[in-house]
Amino acid sequence: MTVAPSNAPALDITCTTCGADVVVQAGLRTTECPYCGSPHVVERPPHEDRPDPTFVVAFTVDHAAAQGIVKRWIGNRGPFVQAGIKRAVVEGTRGVYVPSYLYGARAHARYSASIGENYTVTVTYTTTDSKGNTVVRTRTEVRTEWRSLSGVYDANVMDVLVTASRGLGNAELEAVEPFDLRLLQCYTPDLLAGWIAEEASIAPEDCVKMAQGETRAGIERELQGFMPGDSSTSLQTKISLRDEVAHLALLPVWIFVLRYAEDKDPIRILINGQSGKVAGNVPFSAVRIALAVILFLGLAAGLMLVLGVFA
Amino acid sequence: MTSTNCIRCASPLESGDLRCAVCGDVPEGVHVPPKNERLEKIVLRCDTCGAATRYDARSQGLLCSFCTGLLKSEEVGDPVEQTEAYLPFTVERKEAREALKKWLGRLGFFRPADLISKSRIEDLRPLWWVGWVFDAEALVSWTADSNAGSQRSAWAPHSGQTDLVFDDVLVSASRGLSEKEAYALTPSYNIGGAEPGTGPREDDAVVEAFDVQRSQARTRITRVIHSIAAHRLQQGHIPGSNFRNVHVCALLTGLETRRLAFPAWVMAYRYNDQLFRVVISGQDSAMLKGKAPYSWFRILGVAAGVLLLVLVTVLLGALS
Repeated sequence: MTVAPSNAPALDITCTTCGADVVVQAGLRTTECPYCGSPHVVERPPHEDRPDPTFVVAFTVDHAAAQGIVKRWIGNRGPFVQAGIKRAVVEGTRGVYVPSYLYGARAHARYSASIGENYTVTVTYTTTDSKGNTVVRTRTEVRTEWRSLSGVYDANVMDVLVTASRGLGNAELEAVEPFDLRLLQCYTPDLLAGWIAEEASIAPEDCVKMAQGETRAGIERELQGFMPGDSSTSLQTKISLRDEVAHLALLPVWIFVLRYAEDKDPIRILINGQSGKVAGNVPFSAVRIALAVILFLGLAAGLMLVLGVFA
Repeated sequence: MTSTNCIRCASPLESGDLRCAVCGDVPEGVHVPPKNERLEKIVLRCDTCGAATRYDARSQGLLCSFCTGLLKSEEVGDPVEQTEAYLPFTVERKEAREALKKWLGRLGFFRPADLISKSRIEDLRPLWWVGWVFDAEALVSWTADSNAGSQRSAWAPHSGQTDLVFDDVLVSASRGLSEKEAYALTPSYNIGGAEPGTGPREDDAVVEAFDVQRSQARTRITRVIHSIAAHRLQQGHIPGSNFRNVHVCALLTGLETRRLAFPAWVMAYRYNDQLFRVVISGQDSAMLKGKAPYSWFRILGVAAGVLLLVLVTVLLGALS
């Protein structure tokens, strides 16, 4: 999260409580006075690459709850993770409002596919029976007839979320989705006071492109399931999107940075600040897995030996 | 309640909607805070002690850490709905009792013989249950297998798009009635006869509130539309007479929703020591959904009889 996009420069402001000079880091919308602790929300003049947020999903998971969730999650990681993980030191905890675009559109798709329709046929065949005589028998076989199908498909697409932050990739955001968008609120600085709020650092056009890609992939998946028949193959689609809307929304995410060994990079665990859903990759220990495999093989061999002796 | 229509899908937007409930479009001017041309630094202060406050996740509002006062707790934008109109009761209490008796008599042979004489009505009370009634137009994209145009297989694939109009479709929002109960009573109501604002007249009437939130209506309504569309498409739109794998996707426009309360009699009767529940429509006493005991004695008797018959036939077959 140490990104300095040029469109949201660092700022010097004067604390409105104690008068001290406070620096607002580049790319952030909030800061806290180091002397008196007053939380500030800073609204920079608008810029075409940095629209004001429209919506906010507010934090409902507080710090203590998030810590509890992380502890439980690490505890449930099973025996094969690296040795230090369960004693890992939390190096940083931040509740961040991550900028993202909420995208929607009307989708129109043309598709064509081969649809497999099954039918059964009775086949006669000759074989030899147990006495060595040649006999004629019948059996039923399932065969597939391939028919081509094409058509059009129209649907509303809504609730597609893509990251607008260079610090948190789209895959990471997807890992902690879904957010309950019924609880969307209009942006107000009230919801940000005392939290870290990042400014959008990816240009709106790039985010929309990302959202379009996600939407197309989603519609292709839908269409796979939409095909009739017993099976289907070679689905071709041509998808167009119109009436697109994209609005900047701030999403609540807890970010935990854990260090489990001096010489290793710290690992990052994310928590959905609304639902408490956890995502993160914990490194596995090759040694532990190898030991377990050896132990299992040893046991199996031992068991076979014992059984062999008794037999 | 209705003010403007969604530009994209022409569904009416309601006050407090941040996005269109049907297509997710964001209405113009719903959000935009006034643009500030220069840098703004905002510190939110406690009304009581003047200290700087911060947003508290647990209480979901601004919390002052000095005097621990909660400044304003944001009302999260998912309003709970209000009933717009009530359908009147046309079935009287006495009729409802009679209807139960009649129903118990019609249930057939496998019920206990003394069901009517031994059943005692324990509780009979009027209930207004709530539901959404909607009208909408939809462009329905569909695919299906049918017998039309089939070759070696009995099935051939078809696809198409059909404009369908939905009028007065009732979707239950009730917690008191199960979905099955609500569905069974649905055809009995005269939706056109809803009276705006007329509240309950019966003293002991239970009046349900809409405690399912508006945004949840969308998923339920979509489910109902899809099942109705799949059903209607099989009556003349998809070629053929046998169907399977009917897939539908509806693009809704102009979805208008009304929130109505529907009258019903909820009855509990006791047979031996067991309680059974029956729901009767408040507008047509013949519309009724409920549970009744079975007579295991009779069922087992018939089963034994059938078994005996089969055995005898088999034995006779073996002997001859």
